[in-house]
Amino acid sequence: MKEVTDALFQKEVLESEVPVMVDFWAPWCGPCRMVSPVMEELDQLYNGKIKFVKLNVDDNPTTSMQYGIVSIPTLLLFKDGKAAQKLVGFRPKGEFESLLNQYI
Amino acid sequence: MNARYDIAIIGSGPAGLSAAINGKIRNKNIIVFGQKHLSNKIVKAPMVYNYLGLPELKGEELKNQFQRHIDAMGIEVRNERINCVYAMGDYFAVMAGSVLYEATSVILASGMEFAAPFPGENEFLGRGVGYCATCDAPLYKGRTVTIIGYNEEAVEDANYVSELAGKTYFVPMLDKELHLNPGVEIVKSKPLEIKGTDFVEKLVLKDRELATDAVFVMKDSVPPSQLVPGILMEDGHIQVNRRMETNLKGLYAAGDCTGKPYQYMKAAGEGQIAALQAVSYLNAVK
Repeated sequence: MKEVTDALFQKEVLESEVPVMVDFWAPWCGPCRMVSPVMEELDQLYNGKIKFVKLNVDDNPTTSMQYGIVSIPTLLLFKDGKAAQKLVGFRPKGEFESLLNQYI
Repeated sequence: MNARYDIAIIGSGPAGLSAAINGKIRNKNIIVFGQKHLSNKIVKAPMVYNYLGLPELKGEELKNQFQRHIDAMGIEVRNERINCVYAMGDYFAVMAGSVLYEATSVILASGMEFAAPFPGENEFLGRGVGYCATCDAPLYKGRTVTIIGYNEEAVEDANYVSELAGKTYFVPMLDKELHLNPGVEIVKSKPLEIKGTDFVEKLVLKDRELATDAVFVMKDSVPPSQLVPGILMEDGHIQVNRRMETNLKGLYAAGDCTGKPYQYMKAAGEGQIAALQAVSYLNAVK
């Protein structure tokens, strides 16, 4: 899964032609470590129909502040440059799938 | 990394142990998490009259019978507290502190000993309310953070948070000497409600209010909805069907946590159903 930064956010996420799932995470966060493998699997499952990226909140405070991230993991789904869905905390894989299926 | 277990059973009351026995009889690789005295509720019961075949036993004696039964079957109860169960898709990640166990199926038999959330706690979850202070502390750099602490870990977390936050309050819910950094302000009062608009703004206590950007609630026993992210509840209990299936595939629940009557034999019966269903599930997926 691609790691994005404050600098790359515009190009990689906001200007993306397909919906983008952004995993806001940090290395010390236990639940984040559980979300990561689920995102990796979903990345393969959706095979380019939805893009999956992660953003380290500690290294990228600008984007995190801009989207009001106050708890991690937070997952934001961007469509046409706008945050369309927000999920805070770990969710079962199936719940992510039901949400993402609405966007393909 | 541990080997992946067939069934992880959370809880060592009648539901959990009945599940354990049935899982073991079906030759499944099980792991049971619980407590030394198996069940606080049973140990405290003065007399149990309606347990089939074991009439008029003191709770303590009934517990000893359970212990003998599991000992004879070589079932060990691990005295580890489970913080979280993650539904990863085709398996479950079960966290005991920082130790991770993996299991293909899980039976939740954790009873009804958990504190109800504070008013506003669910509403502001992820909007200032959190359960992992060490995860979210860096997001509150220079801001005000309040920790409602029920255990020693909460004290450690408060110390960690105080290194990052602008102001740290600690509301102790435990009756112990607190080893807190000088930067942490201890507020001895009873939390009543978490309030705010879009995000948390204050914690209302019995005799004062704290203006705060975040409230971390650090409890020992958490409700199932917090223990298993994504699990569906119904009237304060875990939603199950006749087969003890929850809304999450491979995850079953049994005993008091699924609803009334809060009776030992009902719990044991449900534990059996849950174990046998888990066995069918395991046979189907393997």
